Amino acid sequence: MSESGSPTPSADVGSAGTAAAPMVRLETLTKGYGSGATRVDVLSDLDLEVPQGELLAVVGPSGVGKSTLLHLIGLLDRPEGGTVELDGDRMNDLDGEQRAHLRNSLVGFVFQHHHLLDELDALDNVALPLRIAGHGARRARNRAAQLLEAVGLSHRGHHFPDQLSGGEQQRVAVARALAARPRLLLADEPTGNLDASNAHQVFELVRQLHLAEGLTSIIVTHNEPMARRCDRVFRLAPLGERSDYVREI
Amino acid sequence: MRAEFHLARCYLIGLRRRTHVATVTLISLVGLALGVLALVVTLALLEGFQASIRTELVRSAAHVRIGPAQGRLLDDPDRLASVLQAELGDVEMVQVVRGTCLVSSRTDAVPASVVGRSDASDATVDHILGARLGVGIGDSIEIISPRYRLTPMGPLPVRRRLQITRTRSPEHGEESGAVRVPLGVAQRLLWGAPVVEAIEMRDGADPWHLDSRVRRALDEAGLEVRLEGLDQLHRPLLLALALERVMIFVAVGLMLVVAALNLLCNVAMVAAEKRTDLAVLAGMGLTPIAQRRLFLLLGLGIGLVGSLLGAALGIGLALVLDATDALPLPRGVFVVSSVPFRIEPVTVLVVVGVALTLAAAAAWLPSRVIARREPAEGLRYE
Repeated sequence: MSESGSPTPSADVGSAGTAAAPMVRLETLTKGYGSGATRVDVLSDLDLEVPQGELLAVVGPSGVGKSTLLHLIGLLDRPEGGTVELDGDRMNDLDGEQRAHLRNSLVGFVFQHHHLLDELDALDNVALPLRIAGHGARRARNRAAQLLEAVGLSHRGHHFPDQLSGGEQQRVAVARALAARPRLLLADEPTGNLDASNAHQVFELVRQLHLAEGLTSIIVTHNEPMARRCDRVFRLAPLGERSDYVREI
Repeated sequence: MRAEFHLARCYLIGLRRRTHVATVTLISLVGLALGVLALVVTLALLEGFQASIRTELVRSAAHVRIGPAQGRLLDDPDRLASVLQAELGDVEMVQVVRGTCLVSSRTDAVPASVVGRSDASDATVDHILGARLGVGIGDSIEIISPRYRLTPMGPLPVRRRLQITRTRSPEHGEESGAVRVPLGVAQRLLWGAPVVEAIEMRDGADPWHLDSRVRRALDEAGLEVRLEGLDQLHRPLLLALALERVMIFVAVGLMLVVAALNLLCNVAMVAAEKRTDLAVLAGMGLTPIAQRRLFLLLGLGIGLVGSLLGAALGIGLALVLDATDALPLPRGVFVVSSVPFRIEPVTVLVVVGVALTLAAAAAWLPSRVIARREPAEGLRYE
């Protein structure tokens, strides 16, 4: 994000070195909330490109618009200006139904709070994206069981969220995000509510699954050491200051 | 659709875990159940009374009346009777003349209907006329016709003295009292000739459809007459009964509207409570239409449980009250000895259908608001 033109992502981001369309391309993205005297501009003329298969960290101070950026990329919100392209397709003109179908098939979300549904056990929570996609209960639960096993919680499948620890809840949330085999994983401070040990475990899990599933992942985090372990870091600054990509070694 | 069903079921079951929402939901459910119960019991009461009125109508009145197409007298009553006898031999058939005469006892004289019937062999007065004249079985009455005959002493009214052998309940609509006499007696009193004004028919097996059977027989014979079935003979009464039912339904049905408004608040509260959940579900790909369906299903779920509960309790209460004669009525004033309740399955289905429709409508409004929101809105307010 920059006041007078963003940095040129293509010059900085071309790490994939392929002709494939980037998984995410944002051009002059603008978003604010409210109107009149209470208007708050959050993002202005933001350009960003995330190649296929990259693990990108988004860092920046609170209130700078990291979650808003993730919501716009994940089609949870609409920009006021600019374009959002996912996997080479322009998203701006899609209606609510089309955006919902894409969220189901293309995008997986992990939130800071686990946001598991209290009324469902872990297995049903993980199976939910597949149920929404129209899969039968048995098939969805089989896939959920595999994912719970992958996150080391196969023994907790029939536990409800309030019967799980914070770390376990977040691991279930990660499993749920991957249930419908998305190609883009968006994680909004997934370790923000966890202690250091659990945060490390969850981050490693996300990184491991990112590689295993061949995902493109964007993780919003305040944790600098974790951000540095990603392929690249996108540092988001308050409006008026220069946002920039940082190539991490 | 399966996901919405699954979620709605889980939300309804999961309400137990959230005390305040569960309490409000329970209040909505009880409100709806009470509304349905009140409507079912009220309509059962109404149906009970109306059924007794219809039963009395069928018991006491002609089911079909065949009169002349024009004028007051049938042209060829004997041919008409023979045609009907041939086609509808199982049906009770009576030739009738009727008019108004002065009927007197020893102490009083009042105008009353004189009905001559081919099935009458003696004089029968109804309770109204009996009470007005102060006469009963064994007493004599004199019927004085408005028709005159010439005598050596000048014109004198045609009159006939008869002894009362029976009394009966008045026919529906009879207000001034009536006396039934043999057809020949009435013909002499009223017309001085063997004329017939109408043929009245009764069919105990299927009184409400007798007119269509008779119409078929008359059409085949090519007879032109005026035919009136129970529906036409008692149209004002039957219309009044139908109107009464609609008005009661609407008036008591307002309870359902209040219950539905309560349900609307409940669904809106659940929507507010689940705001973040919905945003997360939207993030997982639950479409706006599916979100709307989810809340409609929630409303319908509460509506279904509430209305079925209310209907079951209402039916049970009405059946118990009817079977035990729990609400007695003063004899002589009503034709029944206790307040009658009668459950009509169609009526119960209509009540449940209306309750479900109102419940769906109550859930529709919040569901519409929810479906319009961008998912991020729910996440911003977490």
